[in-house]
Amino acid sequence: MEHVIVTFPTRRLVYIDDEENGYTNEVLRVDAGTHVFTLGNLANFRPASRTVTVKGSSVLEPLEIKFLRKEGA
Amino acid sequence: MKRALLAALLLLLGACASFPENPHLEHYAKDAGYRFERLQHAGNSDSLFVIVTFSGGGTRAAALAYGVLEALRDTSIEWQGHRESLLDEVDVISSISGGSFPAAYYALRGRKTFDEFPDKFLYRPIQDDLLRLALTPTNWFRLAAPSFGRSDLAAEFYDREVFGGGTYADVIARNRRPFVVLNATDMTTGAQFPFIQDEFDLLCSDLAGVPLARAAASSSAFPGGLTALTFRNYAGSCGYRQPAWVTHAADDHDSRVNARRTARAETRLSLAAPGPARPYLHLTDGGVADNIGLRGPLEAIASVDHPWSVLRLINGKKVDRLVVIVVNAATRPATERDKSASVPGLVDTLTTAATVPLDNYSFDTVELLGKTLEEFNADARLVEGCNRLSAAKGEQCALRLRSPHKVGVYPVQVAFEYITGREERDWFRNLPTSFKLPPATIDRLRAVGRRLLAEDPQFKNLLQALHGCLAPQGGAC
Repeated sequence: MEHVIVTFPTRRLVYIDDEENGYTNEVLRVDAGTHVFTLGNLANFRPASRTVTVKGSSVLEPLEIKFLRKEGA
Repeated sequence: MKRALLAALLLLLGACASFPENPHLEHYAKDAGYRFERLQHAGNSDSLFVIVTFSGGGTRAAALAYGVLEALRDTSIEWQGHRESLLDEVDVISSISGGSFPAAYYALRGRKTFDEFPDKFLYRPIQDDLLRLALTPTNWFRLAAPSFGRSDLAAEFYDREVFGGGTYADVIARNRRPFVVLNATDMTTGAQFPFIQDEFDLLCSDLAGVPLARAAASSSAFPGGLTALTFRNYAGSCGYRQPAWVTHAADDHDSRVNARRTARAETRLSLAAPGPARPYLHLTDGGVADNIGLRGPLEAIASVDHPWSVLRLINGKKVDRLVVIVVNAATRPATERDKSASVPGLVDTLTTAATVPLDNYSFDTVELLGKTLEEFNADARLVEGCNRLSAAKGEQCALRLRSPHKVGVYPVQVAFEYITGREERDWFRNLPTSFKLPPATIDRLRAVGRRLLAEDPQFKNLLQALHGCLAPQGGAC
């Protein structure tokens, strides 16, 4: 089992491989491998999605997947 | 002359005999068909998530599974402020071979199962019925056809006599959990083949039109005794698109970052290859791939990409307690082999080769379940421990690490090996695999299923946590 934390300034739904998977800024469990991460609701974030190969993480050091607020949004 | 004409007519009819084709799916629709997320909760919460698996083992497995179903019905728990039966909290049943009969019947008839299933299947000498059908001369001509086998004949019988013509359309119409997954094995790839729409999407076929009898016959097509069942593959003709994860998992092949996930993706790509690359599929007993029906649930617990992923629900903080009840009717028959210097015969050798690896594999799968579930506790405990230790060093040292959602886990096992008394244990372990057992044996199997469930340490923990009670047979809490 791998651990990731998808970060964004506010609480937003997290989509992993097009499916709802909890919320931003929380530790989420995923299976190892390449996944596509994106956020739900408003499209005021960048990048639009991030494709990340998750491996070698741990619950104490979850892999951070960062989304930023889009300028002017 | 008349006889010759009749014989010619029968031969002609026989040559025409073929398996009933599974229907074509005109247009792929992600929100239609038999899918976990489409079933209504109807009072069944996600927060207490219960998975039950029924193993193979003919009527022995069916009776043990049925005994556990009865016990779950009679288990009263307190959850979210009201009392209810634990059976009403079962979310998924995954079944193999003999265990697929009570599972399929429950999917079709719900609680009416308890009034109907014993007479329709459990206490019926199904084996004699199947033998009689195979010995009926009119069927010889049908069986002589290349695309019609003994399992097709058995499926017709189950459809008529057990499931009353019920199809997956009837199960979809019931629209209630549990999501019941009957498992067969794809003979070519050796992969598990679950009877759910997500799998039939790959074939561009509509599971709604498939009789439950055909699914149960595929799941229980014991190699040698029964033939594999044939299904049409219409891949590439319904506008189906693989989920996003499949391409990425297949691309991970060279990096080997998650070989199991890659293999799942590659199996999906192979089944859905347009053309289709494999116009027909041949499905044999689910026990060939996994005799306890636990592989699918394990993937659902450990992967966000499974068609009914439990991990997605856990990430969404929807599951607080996860219960997995493994009902395993595996036996270990006594043998006189080692009392003689004689070289074991062909049948003995082949039987050993067919069953021993499966039993070893089942043992490993149950071990893997324990380890996977323990991970959910271990990671949360680790974070809590680090936070506690760091905080003890003073406010400046406090780490405040974030923890993933904490889940209470209960891996429960019902298996003959947990019978305490040696004599009784050996009696159950020497029961044959057959579709016909004496009524007294079936009674004992039902009773032992209930007792083993009640005695399981994790089940006791669950009942304690939920202020629960399993009523004694015929009694009340």
